[in-house]
Amino acid sequence: MEGLLLLVAILLPAIGSLMVVFMPWLNERREERCFFVGVIMVLECIVVLLIALDAERTLVLFEMTKQLPIALRSDGTSRVFSAVMALMWTISGFYSFSYMKHEQNEKSYYAFYLMTLASLMALTLSGTMVTMYLFFEMMTFISMPMVLHSRTKEAVAAGIKYLIYSVAGATMGLLGIFMLTPNIASPYFVEGGSLLVEQLNLPHTAFQVILLVTLIGFGTKAGMFPMHGWLPTAHPVAPSPASAVLSGVITKAGVLCIFRMIFYVIGPDYLRGTWVQWTLLSCATITVFMGSMLALREKVLKKRLAYSSVSQVSYVLCGVFILDTMALDGALLQMVFHALTKDALFLCAGAIILQAGVTRVDEMHNLGKSMPWTMWMFTICAISLVGIPPLGGFIAKWYIAEGALITSTPVFSWLVPVVLLISAMLTAAYLLPPSVSSFFGGMAQGEAAAIAYEKKDPPLMMMIPITILTLAILLLGIFPGFMIEVFTSLANTLF
Amino acid sequence: MILILAIILPIVTGVLLPVMRLKARARNLYMMVCTLLTSVLVAIALTGDFTQLELISLNKKLSISLHLDDLGKVFSAVIALLWPLTLLYALSYMKDAVNQTSFFTFFQMSYGVTLGIAMSANLLTLYIFYELMTLSTLPLVLHSGSAKSVKAGLKYLYYSLGGSAFAFIGLVYLVYFGGGTDFLPGGLFVGVGSQHTVQLQLGYLLCFLGFGVKAAIFPVHGWLPTAAVAPTPVTALLHAVAVVKSGVFAIIRVTYFSFGTSVLEGSYAQYVSLALSAFTIVFGSAMALKERHLKRRLAYSTVANLSYILFGALLMIAQGLYAGLMHLVFHALMKITLFLVVGVFNRRAHAYYIEDVRGIAKALPVLAVVFVIGSLAMTGIPPLIGFVSKWSLAEAAILSGGLLPLLGVSALLISAVLTGIYLIVPAVTMYTRPPVIPAPQKVESGFYVTLLVLSAMIIALSFYSAPLLDFLYQTALGAI
Repeated sequence: MEGLLLLVAILLPAIGSLMVVFMPWLNERREERCFFVGVIMVLECIVVLLIALDAERTLVLFEMTKQLPIALRSDGTSRVFSAVMALMWTISGFYSFSYMKHEQNEKSYYAFYLMTLASLMALTLSGTMVTMYLFFEMMTFISMPMVLHSRTKEAVAAGIKYLIYSVAGATMGLLGIFMLTPNIASPYFVEGGSLLVEQLNLPHTAFQVILLVTLIGFGTKAGMFPMHGWLPTAHPVAPSPASAVLSGVITKAGVLCIFRMIFYVIGPDYLRGTWVQWTLLSCATITVFMGSMLALREKVLKKRLAYSSVSQVSYVLCGVFILDTMALDGALLQMVFHALTKDALFLCAGAIILQAGVTRVDEMHNLGKSMPWTMWMFTICAISLVGIPPLGGFIAKWYIAEGALITSTPVFSWLVPVVLLISAMLTAAYLLPPSVSSFFGGMAQGEAAAIAYEKKDPPLMMMIPITILTLAILLLGIFPGFMIEVFTSLANTLF
Repeated sequence: MILILAIILPIVTGVLLPVMRLKARARNLYMMVCTLLTSVLVAIALTGDFTQLELISLNKKLSISLHLDDLGKVFSAVIALLWPLTLLYALSYMKDAVNQTSFFTFFQMSYGVTLGIAMSANLLTLYIFYELMTLSTLPLVLHSGSAKSVKAGLKYLYYSLGGSAFAFIGLVYLVYFGGGTDFLPGGLFVGVGSQHTVQLQLGYLLCFLGFGVKAAIFPVHGWLPTAAVAPTPVTALLHAVAVVKSGVFAIIRVTYFSFGTSVLEGSYAQYVSLALSAFTIVFGSAMALKERHLKRRLAYSTVANLSYILFGALLMIAQGLYAGLMHLVFHALMKITLFLVVGVFNRRAHAYYIEDVRGIAKALPVLAVVFVIGSLAMTGIPPLIGFVSKWSLAEAAILSGGLLPLLGVSALLISAVLTGIYLIVPAVTMYTRPPVIPAPQKVESGFYVTLLVLSAMIIALSFYSAPLLDFLYQTALGAI
């Protein structure tokens, strides 16, 4: 059966999740359960890699009505997004085997963790708008229990806020799906879009308003202004490995939906030069700036990282909304590097909270002495996030900035690089001081030498994932060639 | 013949119930058998093709007749399917309640009356059965005899009588200008035309508002949330399925089969009714959000959802009617499931308000799952059935073009978000908060069986509904 592999990519983690819930023999010892979850995730990565190497396949799951097929398709975008997401998920998963020892209810955590992976894979592999919407909603509902995992009042309130924002955003997206369906040539995603511009059944202005609403709606998951309000509440309150994937991976699901709508349904040519593009660029640049400013003000580490995500994911959206090849390259690079970096930063934050009980940045001084490995990783990731070469963050931001400059978009061709620069400085301001103070934290010369700091680096199972991520940021930053090649060939099919 | 039998059987068996003085178990068996028998009769009627059956002829133009066309088959099928299930539930629910005999008498009689509405061949017959429905359901609302129930019952009565008066005036217009009350596809004026279109449109509007009482359109919806005080099998079946769907059914009949789209399309009558239904969609959803009492919340939700059906039907195109009928069937299924779950929470856990059901998933896990399924379906989360009907409604609205249908689509989406909040948030708190209510009493298997069957139907239809949808589409095409 053609496309069987696509179905396996979805069912493997789903069945794994159900087994975690219903099989008693898996839950007797936590080591067995963790081993099982680990095996499932590694197998999933293999499946995703096989899909990436295979040719494009389509699989119709069922037909909701005759005109609404629910279908999977593994085109270029699917392969990029699914590979990034599966790998991130696995790495954070391995971290959580050690971290979650200290939390309750591990069984339900892993069950929802695997099931969210299944829905994410289904989302990336979706071949039509309605399929994408289906799995988008499904992913919201299945990821929510991870947000409210600790069951405190704060966590439950955050989970409900996440739910309401996400449902509102998805509904805004649904409006666009309703309006676009009669105006496109094929229900399936088509590279470059399949909008029948001459035969629109609406006046253009009304149509464009609806498109704006749609894209802002899908931007909710990516934390774009004005629908960003849930992110700083929901991401920090989850357990750290869950925060890592929420910031690092699930925000990219929002980016994916925007990506699909612009490049596979509407078509970038329709939007280029319109007030819709300008509004979207405004929202994205506002978010970049605002996220960094709010991160600077925030003293709780995880909340600071959450605001940072708000800002950094909108870098991706800036690159997307410029609607040009180079900027798109930059957007995809930023997506990968932000996922790696933010994931690693949240995992470090988790280690810091667990081992040192530190939750605020003003308590981080001298942490580098007791947790050197962790803080080194933190620092390298911070440098990458700021965008300093040769780390990965630099190349991504460079491509976005230059990509904006070479287009003829009014105002934004120079505004985007300026905002990126300002944000880079703000990022340095909110990430580097904690880093520096952790190594050179305020103590008099003599005292520092005298005190022997107890080494509190977390166990290997937590450090190795963080290190792998950091090494990836380093290596991919120095040798970005392969990624740039893949992304450029993808971008060329879309314009 | 079968038609009249299907209607008479439940009425007669209902009337005989108090006479027979059966003990509890014998009575339950009797009820079950009679209801199932009626449903079987309906099933047989669905497969056949029956010509009009004239019962009583009043004069040359007016008669009381029965006929089962496609539209009637859809409604009868829904009723015949859900009535036995609800009866099974009611038998467990009303255990140890007072006045069970009178309850089941009127419960049974209402079945026959509702079938009468479905099988009416003309507006006069429908009107008569409509009045009978008010009378047969009133004692069910009044059942507990408390001051609240009496107030609710009287409100129901006054609203219904007012509505009937309006509808009657519309009926008179029809007879005067159209010469009869027969239901014909396309209406009485198709091909013939009429010089009196403006008066006809006024007559239609009166009919719309009149039948709209039972269909809970703003501003005549007020009786429905108050009637939530009735025992849950009553609210579930009658006020989420039978009574309110009869109102919607009557409006569909009057729109497509009496006045006809040729007279109404593009008229002020269509715009006024479309606007009212679009407003009710948002209004009902917003009121549901404000409401903390579970059953009243679901009642407001019904108010909104009925207007989804009406909105589709009032677009006056085949796609619109198709979408409306789809939602008629799907909503009946989803709403009855939700009401019945809440009924168990009421009866066995004494949980009446949103705050009370916190943490109830620990004690009643299966019921919590059923509630979640119902909530997700009502919100319109794909691939569940609620999404398919919402999609079709939006598709039909976009197809018909124009400003008002587009506003309707926005209303649908706003309502979807509100539904998500007022249903899914309580569902989440069932799992995440510590329990508020002490351990519930034992929940009988009769409850579980009904709810699991209903949930299974929701899930099954979500994935395989093609034959049903084809039939609905054919029905819609046949009505224009």
